[in-house]
Amino acid sequence: MATLRLDGLKKTYPNGFVALHGLDLTIDDGELLVVVGPSGCGKSTLLRMLAGLEDITEGSLYIGEKRVNELEPVERDIAMVFQNYALYPHMSVAGNMEYALKNRGIPKEERRRKVEETARLIGLQDLLDRRPRQLSGGQRQRVAMGRAIVREPQVFLFDEPLSNLDAKLRVQMRLEIRRLQKRLGVTAVYVTHDQVEAMTLADRLIVMNEGRIEQLGTPMTLYEQPASTFVAGFIGSPAMNFLNANADGDTLTLPCGSQLTSPVDVHGDITLGIRPEHLVPVEESPQALTVQVELVEPLGADTLAYATLAGQTEPLVVRFDGVRRLNEGDRLWLAPDRERLHVFDPDHGHRLTTTETSTTS
Amino acid sequence: MRYRRPGLDITSHTLLILCVIVFFLPVWMAIVAATHTQSSLYTGTAPLWFGSEGLGNFLAVLSDPVSRLGTDATRLLLNSTIMALGIAVGKITIAILAAYAIVFFRFPMRMLCFWAIFITLMLPVEVRIMPTYKVVADLGMLNSYSGLILPLIASATATFLFRQFYLTVPPELLEAARVDGAGPWRFLRDILLPLSKTNIAALFVIMFLYGWNQYLWPLLITTESDYMTVVISLKRMLTSADNLVPWHTVTATTLLAMLPPIIVIVLMQRYFVKGLVDTEK
Ligand SMILES: Nc1ncnc2c1ncn2[C@@H]1O[C@H](COP(=O)(O)OP(=O)(O)OP(=O)(O)O)[C@@H](O)[C@H]1O
Ligand SMILES: [Mg+2]
Repeated sequence: MATLRLDGLKKTYPNGFVALHGLDLTIDDGELLVVVGPSGCGKSTLLRMLAGLEDITEGSLYIGEKRVNELEPVERDIAMVFQNYALYPHMSVAGNMEYALKNRGIPKEERRRKVEETARLIGLQDLLDRRPRQLSGGQRQRVAMGRAIVREPQVFLFDEPLSNLDAKLRVQMRLEIRRLQKRLGVTAVYVTHDQVEAMTLADRLIVMNEGRIEQLGTPMTLYEQPASTFVAGFIGSPAMNFLNANADGDTLTLPCGSQLTSPVDVHGDITLGIRPEHLVPVEESPQALTVQVELVEPLGADTLAYATLAGQTEPLVVRFDGVRRLNEGDRLWLAPDRERLHVFDPDHGHRLTTTETSTTS
Repeated sequence: MRYRRPGLDITSHTLLILCVIVFFLPVWMAIVAATHTQSSLYTGTAPLWFGSEGLGNFLAVLSDPVSRLGTDATRLLLNSTIMALGIAVGKITIAILAAYAIVFFRFPMRMLCFWAIFITLMLPVEVRIMPTYKVVADLGMLNSYSGLILPLIASATATFLFRQFYLTVPPELLEAARVDGAGPWRFLRDILLPLSKTNIAALFVIMFLYGWNQYLWPLLITTESDYMTVVISLKRMLTSADNLVPWHTVTATTLLAMLPPIIVIVLMQRYFVKGLVDTEK
């Protein structure tokens, strides 16, 4: 159990590619921090640096009070769960789980006791004698978890541990990981590119983009106050709609002629962000956005509509209650909630607040 | 996939049986000849059935010095076994370690080392026999087991095979082992070696046969009968200047010389067939 502190952590690969541009971050004791971002943004690199599998080019990493830059993985007292599980194929489940204990010179009796205890915790009691190839994907995933838990490490590191499982199992294992991590109270860093997984698991969440932290916060903060169009587009599903608009004080004018009240006081061209679930259908009115439905996706609980709005290139995604019947070609009037509009800089994508003025005013 | 075609079955079986007969006939004749006395083998026709001696000839070559060799077959078999085992074990050990270093460690001139090993494939003993002889002679290793074994012990083939196998081991396995606190030796012993069991068994058979069948090298460096190998002894028994070739002794020794390779193959093939059937990767 420990806090994890990253101080200007930077990674340059031998070929000169800078994968991480100096991260500063503190992960609290017992916290589950999720790192999310598109493919190639440096999530695995970060995790492998924490694990000690990849050298730290610059900066310092502290686990607890100790600087661990130069320590081998085993000396950092971390446990890692790999995407493809990386179980030892020739060892039984019990053998896989106790290997780390064995290397530490823990006597056989104690090893057995610990392995059995952990196996009970994660429901592997009956599989201890099996080889990895005799297990299903979900069971292998559990063994990989067990191998991490049995060592009682200071930090858990997960690199997309659920991405090889089917959708249903993924939901189940997600809950289980959350439950276990809270119960054991071990600090954890969890990497994923699935934003639903990220939202549901995280105490705090990092959105990464090209080796930089784009935003750090609780899942709800990131959802409600995304710091940039990148974060806004990444968190929430379906993704936020972005519209071109012109701001003049608290009035926003869209190319289609509709006028909305802005939550912030800015001037000039802006990018307006509206989440699909925050577009409410209303009676015909000059204030409302007039759209024409192009495509309907009924999902059961919700219905998604892709609709065209004059003056916008991208179709607008709108989320309705599943009971609402929609047809392609329908005309709708939508009124967004003022408090839930997001205003971004059109060039750099960062969130605009009242104190700032748009750069292109 | 199996097809049911009775006609094909009969043809292929006939063919196979014929091949077995053709292959087995000389062996059969050797077995038969080994049970005759020398005089009954010189009556003009080669016998096709067992003679009067039974296992007597075998026991004789094993216990008494064979004529013109000055040593008995037990000693010859022992020498051959030591040489073949030494070569097989040595080759595999060196190949495993060399491949391990090349694949899993980053050191300067790693690829140069690999290619240096690789091009020695072009230099079998026969090609470098004179310089090798000189070196071994200068080191005083003529007529010794180390002289028999050491010059043949490095193997580019085996190194290459192990390298190819190691390259297929997922890198996460190494990383998982590192996180689990296994150092380089532990990783080799606990993870890599168990995974390469099949390869080791197969290579052991091949290398044992290679060592057992060595002819030119032992012929060159063993002048004392104490270090003579069984393969050499066969040739020596046949080169008789004055008297008749003792065919009964020659065939008995030949058959004895065939035994250890057969035993090795039978024992080892179980491992690698098993390994091939339930591969654990
Ligand atoms: N050994 C390496 N040498 C050079 N560049 C590398 C190396 N490993 C990774 N990279 C680069 O670093 C960047 C980050 O890689 P990383 O594996 O951390 O991505 P990721 O966020 O985990 O992506 P994914 O979601 O696809 O797993 C990528 O652009 C990748 O091409
Ligand atoms: Mg990755």
